[in-house]
Amino acid sequence: MTKEPFSWAYTDIVKDHFLNPRNFIMGDESKWKADGQGIVGNPICGDQMLVKIRVKNGKISDIGWKTYGCASAIASTSALSELAKGRTLEEADHITAKEICDFLGGLPEHKFHCSVLGHQALHKAIKDYLKKAK
Amino acid sequence: MKFIYLDHSATEPLLKESEEEIVRVMKLSHEQKIGNPSSLHTTGSTAKELMNEARSEIATLIEARPLELIFTSGGCESNNTVTNTFRGCPIFISSIEHPSILNSAGTYGSPCVKIPVNSNGVINIDFFSENLEKTIKENPKQKILVSIMLANNESGTIEPIREVSDIIKEFNKRYKARIFLHTDATQAVGKISVSVKDLGVNYMTFTSHKLGGPVGIGALYVKPGSPFAPLIYGGAQENKRRAGTSNVVLASGFKEAAKHAKNSLSRYPEVEKIRNYLNSEIARLIPTAKLITPINKAPCLPNILNIAFPSAEGESTQLYLDLEGIEVSTGSACASGDLEPSHVLMAMYHDAEVAHGSVRFSIGLETTKNDIDILMKKLPPIVKRIQDLSTLTPKEN
Repeated sequence: MTKEPFSWAYTDIVKDHFLNPRNFIMGDESKWKADGQGIVGNPICGDQMLVKIRVKNGKISDIGWKTYGCASAIASTSALSELAKGRTLEEADHITAKEICDFLGGLPEHKFHCSVLGHQALHKAIKDYLKKAK
Repeated sequence: MKFIYLDHSATEPLLKESEEEIVRVMKLSHEQKIGNPSSLHTTGSTAKELMNEARSEIATLIEARPLELIFTSGGCESNNTVTNTFRGCPIFISSIEHPSILNSAGTYGSPCVKIPVNSNGVINIDFFSENLEKTIKENPKQKILVSIMLANNESGTIEPIREVSDIIKEFNKRYKARIFLHTDATQAVGKISVSVKDLGVNYMTFTSHKLGGPVGIGALYVKPGSPFAPLIYGGAQENKRRAGTSNVVLASGFKEAAKHAKNSLSRYPEVEKIRNYLNSEIARLIPTAKLITPINKAPCLPNILNIAFPSAEGESTQLYLDLEGIEVSTGSACASGDLEPSHVLMAMYHDAEVAHGSVRFSIGLETTKNDIDILMKKLPPIVKRIQDLSTLTPKEN
């Protein structure tokens, strides 16, 4: 018996970012040299995001991440990385959960608050960079 | 792509025999050969005969008498009917009950005492016995309900119901107490031999769709002489115990599933072999996996294998497998409606990461070794992929 797969509660963009995540760090993240990094969430809650950034001329020149969590958590961190790359630190610092959600074409209501946390990790990474740069 | 269904504990696919019987009885209704079973005329009597036939067949599955069975809309209603009967009374439940017991007993029980389980998912008998005795002494004339599931839907653990009923019998005798025992046997019936007499229970819940019958109908066994309060008032159906026009169509489909379940019990040792093969293949190919089902540690159902993959969140594993045409379920919070990790796995392990990473494979009669081999080609790279993305690093057992 065969069936049509893929009738999930997620949009095609969410599915794409879940299955083909952009900019994630393969393997040991400590080898990914960064100018700043931030981590939010915890495994007890079921979601944790690590975001690392490289900064050149006040802009995010590269971004890498890791996420422990569900499809929505993985896709939203992937989306965040796409949104942040190339932006100035100030612009990137203003990315909101809503912007990530809109980029993904929406998320199921109950997933929005718990799984879209990547921007908070990015805020921490920017703060970390600014502290180090002083 | 081959579709491999490994979520039989969620629902069994509708059996051909049930489907044909449902269609046959629906046609009888359309052709005006059956009517309302409560009516005295010919078509009413014919419908009543079909109800009686279904009730008799289904009752033999749990070694009960036909009139000891009440048809309900399913497991939730059967469970709620029992807890509702004991409103305001002390209710003892295990901490791993289905939400239909947890939430209703939590509302009606005064108090509701939750019996803890060990890491095999087996209830703490000493805790149960000591607290029950204390409650009897505090409330000597009060009715008390004990509701413990026969087998757990997530871990597959089989609870020691006979031991529980022996303790109750002893206390009823010693203290002239009025303790009544209910077991939710939804997952156990059809998978292992179940007898209400051997278990010594007052009430038992089971349902049609876990046997390959239609969704929307279940049953409640009530031992004669046990307290009973209808959940739904109205007409005199089901011996005045459950109002509502009798559903001849669903009862007939349920009957065929019960017949099939009785004839298939002897095939479950083979199902168990397939389940154990899957367990050994996972242990061999994914050394970080943590076995949750208490195989070789405590009695458990033959068809359930619950495994946690550390650092790999369960919903992600479930969705990647779905893409490969393989359907399983998970105890992860992300896959649940209330975003809480499985209360069963939390009660067993007190570790949210285990619950978040858990995947339940439930095997059916038609699952083959080849299906497991296909699964095991896909599963290790999927788990590795998700672990690669994860902030957490899995450790080998």
